[in-house]
Amino acid sequence: MKLALIGVGHAGSRIVDRALERELETGRDLCNGNVLVFDTAADAFDDITHVPSECQVRFGDIHPDVDADGVGGDPDLGVTVAREDVQELRRAFDAVDFNDVDGLLLVAGLAGGTGGGAGAVLLEELQAICDKPIYALGVLPEADEPDHCALTASRALQSFVEIADNVICFDNDAWRSTVSYTDTAESEADRPYDELDRTAVSHVMTAFGASESAAMTTAAENRIDASDITRTLETGGVSSIGRATLELDRSDDGLSWLPSWLPLPSWLAGDAVDGPADAAEVKRLVRRAIDSQLTLPCAVDSTYRVLVVLSGPPTAVSRKGFESARYWLEQETGTVEVLAGDEPRPDSATLTATVLLSTVTDVPRIDALQERGRTAKEAVDESEAGEAEFVW
Amino acid sequence: MKLATIGVGNAGSKIIDRMLEFEDKTGRSLCRHVLVINSARTDLAKPDYVPEDRRILIGDTHKKAKGHGVGGDVEVGAEVAKHDIDEIRRAFDDVEIHEVDAIIVAAGLGGGTGSGAGPVVIEELQKMYDEPVYGLGILPGEYEGGRPALNAARSLQSFVQKVDNFIAFDNDAWRSRGQTIEEGYEQMNRELAVRIVTLLAAGEIDETDVAENAMDSSDIMRTLDTDGVSSIGYASTTISGDTDEGLLNRFREDEKPVGDATDAAKIKGLVRRAVNSRLTIPCEVTSADRALIILSGPSELISRKGIESARQWLENEADTVDILAGDDPRPNASELSAVVLLSNVTETPRVDEIQSQAVDAQDKIAELEAAREEEINELITDENDELDPVV
Repeated sequence: MKLALIGVGHAGSRIVDRALERELETGRDLCNGNVLVFDTAADAFDDITHVPSECQVRFGDIHPDVDADGVGGDPDLGVTVAREDVQELRRAFDAVDFNDVDGLLLVAGLAGGTGGGAGAVLLEELQAICDKPIYALGVLPEADEPDHCALTASRALQSFVEIADNVICFDNDAWRSTVSYTDTAESEADRPYDELDRTAVSHVMTAFGASESAAMTTAAENRIDASDITRTLETGGVSSIGRATLELDRSDDGLSWLPSWLPLPSWLAGDAVDGPADAAEVKRLVRRAIDSQLTLPCAVDSTYRVLVVLSGPPTAVSRKGFESARYWLEQETGTVEVLAGDEPRPDSATLTATVLLSTVTDVPRIDALQERGRTAKEAVDESEAGEAEFVW
Repeated sequence: MKLATIGVGNAGSKIIDRMLEFEDKTGRSLCRHVLVINSARTDLAKPDYVPEDRRILIGDTHKKAKGHGVGGDVEVGAEVAKHDIDEIRRAFDDVEIHEVDAIIVAAGLGGGTGSGAGPVVIEELQKMYDEPVYGLGILPGEYEGGRPALNAARSLQSFVQKVDNFIAFDNDAWRSRGQTIEEGYEQMNRELAVRIVTLLAAGEIDETDVAENAMDSSDIMRTLDTDGVSSIGYASTTISGDTDEGLLNRFREDEKPVGDATDAAKIKGLVRRAVNSRLTIPCEVTSADRALIILSGPSELISRKGIESARQWLENEADTVDILAGDDPRPNASELSAVVLLSNVTETPRVDEIQSQAVDAQDKIAELEAAREEEINELITDENDELDPVV
């Protein structure tokens, strides 16, 4: 599925930049060059290296409350400046060829003033001018970020879910334990966002970018088409992605020194086909994809629709195993709407299962965020009552 | 028989392609007109034997398809076919219908395109032509899940109502452990193609001078004329290739040549094996309305007596006297095969299973849909509804 990528705010722009980098690395063409990043801060695009400068849009900077740091984390100010500059934002969309893509993905950190606030306004604008599905990738803050971040994220999530056709969430807090952290990380700049961003990008790209690989030469038996992804996501709400990879030990048979085009007699080739990923292994892999860390940890049985993509050498995958895995997902998620497809990568040494859980409704992490948001709001309300100025 | 063959959707197109392949390999000429209809551009590129100009893409202007398939949604499949019906009709313009005896529409019933667009295409064909229209439908296996079962259960109703006969193929009966994703359904499609082509190509040359016993198209069409669901049984035996001896001797090679009685027993045995081996859809043989037996191979190997005793055996087995039996002389064939058509079988456990899986799926879908909006709303708002959205 071709997706135009729209990054909003610091986190959003960074992730979109990482997505372009990954396009180059993997040969998967997700956006066809249809890319835009928006921010309010002066130095916003300093570390953007892959998004062309003509696709970088700074806005809101003439507003009196906006300084070099942008909207300073205030989502209401983010909304205000986006609305004031709406003509300019609309013009920026001229750079995107909506006919060239099957949908749009707006990427934003929900805890940011620009991402969470202006991001919601941009979603509204996109819905008004484009009849393709409009998805969002919303990044949730870490637990040790200030409470007002939780408040902004909770409020932004409401708007994003209302406006976008589906919001895929990536929970930085759940993933921070998986990246190396320096103990001295005090300021934002020290946080290991780079690795988190890359993780988010790789999940999104295997889910949406199946079948978009330039190197794909073999036809998939069951290709994941844009219509399959659209149908899976049309139930709206919040979604999560799981993924697992299996190393295929293809050297086992001792014949790996033979050129791969050489037809092997069946008594020699037999093991290489049966060995690597038999029915049970394929099933275990799919199981691992949702048992392992999801982009948004959630109760799997609260899912409405599921898409599963198996990516790897098609000769090494038992179809029966894939079918059983699909069936198992149906039992596990409690929905019959499970679409399955394969992405043939004949020369790959790995087999990857990616599972998109669309519309998950039981998410403890979001409840906790709202709880903290409420505490923050009470603090704000109190300080406003005391006419003290709340400092973001 | 001369056929116009139409494949709808990914599975349907592949079966048509495999039928053309088998024809090509065995020197038959059954499919006089070919057409494949698909909603996904990529699937349209797959066939090896269907000419480029006989492939049409439907739904490329439909909002939910756009040339990328219908996402496994039977409703969308039907919608895009209705929308592009003029284009489909135009594709039949160059079909010289007086040259064909019947039309076959092949489709997978578990997906969206075949199950949804298939019946729409059939309805149109029935309006346009007097020739019988037969359906060839693939039923999804249990493990393909609830949504495919629901698509299939609904589509099966439409198919059976609209066609003159529905030949069913059950994926579950043919599933096997060794298949990889790459092979996919290839092997199953080939098995089905062999059965269909062997059956319908009998009597392809109606002016045959070989045997007075030869099957002709009208016999096959009469057997199919039941408006019901049918199953096909098949068995074959290789004729050993020692060319120094006569054909008869080749066939009898590992037996002592004791004469006609053995030949007859062999024919009967082969027919028996055809019925007892995997049918395209497992069914209660006694529930069949009519049946047809065809022996295909070099005519000197097909004993008249054998065919007669096979017919009598099946008459007993199927509990019907409406059984035709004949041969399809293929002088150069390397195999002797028996194909048995059981027409209008009414007891097929797999159809009942699909229906019950479909009912469960439909209930589950309705249950989830009823709760969806509220559950999403509950998730994104806090317990006391104190937090406002940003816009």
